[in-house]
Amino acid sequence: MLSYKFDWGVLWRQPYGEWLLQGLWLTIQIGALAWVIALSLGILFGTLRSVRFLPLRILGSVYVEVFRNIPFLVQLFFWFYAGPMLFGKTLQFKINALSGLNYYVAIVALGLYTASRVGEHVRAGFASIGHGQYEAVLSTGMTPVQMYWHVMIPHALRLIIPPLTTEFLTIFKNSAVAMTIGVAETTFMSYKIDEQTFHGLEATTGAMAIYLVLGMTVVKLMDFIEARFRIPGLMTR
Amino acid sequence: MKRWSMLGILAAALCALAFLAPPVLAGETMDKIEKTGKIKVGLREDSIPFAFIDPKVGKQVGFSVDMTQLLVENLSKYFGKKIEIEPVTITTKTRIPMIVNGTTDVEMGSTTYTQEREDVVDFSLTFFFSETSFLVAKDSPIKTKADLNGKRLGGARGTTNLKAIEDQAAAGVYKPKEIVTTEGHAQGFLALKTGKIDAYATDRSLLEGLRMKDDKPDAWRTVDFAIAYEPYGYMMRENDSDFRDFVNNTILWAIKTGKFYELYDKWMGPKGMVPIPMSQAYKDYLQLIVYPMDEGWLKKK
Repeated sequence: MLSYKFDWGVLWRQPYGEWLLQGLWLTIQIGALAWVIALSLGILFGTLRSVRFLPLRILGSVYVEVFRNIPFLVQLFFWFYAGPMLFGKTLQFKINALSGLNYYVAIVALGLYTASRVGEHVRAGFASIGHGQYEAVLSTGMTPVQMYWHVMIPHALRLIIPPLTTEFLTIFKNSAVAMTIGVAETTFMSYKIDEQTFHGLEATTGAMAIYLVLGMTVVKLMDFIEARFRIPGLMTR
Repeated sequence: MKRWSMLGILAAALCALAFLAPPVLAGETMDKIEKTGKIKVGLREDSIPFAFIDPKVGKQVGFSVDMTQLLVENLSKYFGKKIEIEPVTITTKTRIPMIVNGTTDVEMGSTTYTQEREDVVDFSLTFFFSETSFLVAKDSPIKTKADLNGKRLGGARGTTNLKAIEDQAAAGVYKPKEIVTTEGHAQGFLALKTGKIDAYATDRSLLEGLRMKDDKPDAWRTVDFAIAYEPYGYMMRENDSDFRDFVNNTILWAIKTGKFYELYDKWMGPKGMVPIPMSQAYKDYLQLIVYPMDEGWLKKK
């Protein structure tokens, strides 16, 4: 009774093939730019969570708990629909009138969300550094800020490259959620091909292949970084 | 080395998955309904006044939901036993795939008949005509098609309305500043309210529905012009003519017995939720298609 005729041609026939590539380009942009935010804020809040000064530690904890405990989809909707309201009545309509608002919101929201996860890895990195090192660094006369900036953060970051690889991969995969606010990234495009051609299985398989290749590329890149910055004697493979 | 061989297995699994045909239902829909005593109906949640969630009741109501009720009443009479509705919530995105893969037996909402959709599913007779129009703010400068130039227009994913805008913009009929895809009508209206778009497109009946359900219906208006026309039908799986006949006969019989007009009046009459006067052409159409009907169709042969 049912027969689904496969037509793999939709993956390269124009304009569908081009749509998928446009989607990939947006996925790369969103993932990469959000990663910049995630890494910088993640290092900042992860560090705040491990300092001695209590108010800073509370600040770091509040950020991490708020952002990692709310589903990303909900956060995205919040920033897109309710976010502009935080700026007051007149500014709100100016912000909403920006074209490409959904693109920027997706990058910022994904960055803020992933930062909370990166922050936890950073904290774990600090925790795995022996206490003796803190004392040794401070005894050289460095201030706590200098200690974190010159010694502890570079050290911790090298230790946590494997979990950071996972976060970097996840950020590209999570970027698919941006389609719910109309960002035409890879998944959006595969759905769009499905809607126009009804060849959803092929379109979805195409999107899967794109994500797989993108993910493998990220893994290779991170493998390279890991090998380049390995601390001899501290990490074994 | 090990990683790559794992990748090979993964790739093989993916290919196998891709070539698996979607679940095939044994037997025809009518047999299945008789056997299980249930019919799985795909119902929308945001298609006012055809199928939408009534906050007071917490479940789907609307013109097409009432038609679903008629369908199961007829099915119960036909099989001589109680047939129950199993409602399945669908969206503009899932309504067609869920018919094709057998999750739903019939979609009863406000779906426009198109040639591309007809290739994948079967449509019932047309039971309503609408047109693609725009909802705008009361004081919006959009009055004619030409006013759409330079404006930000929104439409819901997977709708004929969005495709009409995209096609006409690509053909240069008008040049919008931006075309925004939303996840559904509720989000589309939200985008309009928050100023993310200047005009939201869907069928005029649905736009009126959105407007009437707002706190301030007078703050919005639907524009006078239309950019496309939308004949509505219910959707079923391809090549299942017994079931499609039954759905068609349910529509025809409702018109013949006057029940159809009652339901129309309940939802779209002057006192209904979304008043839409019947055009003369629509009235004539309804009268002409039921001419040959008599009671015999409800007897099981």
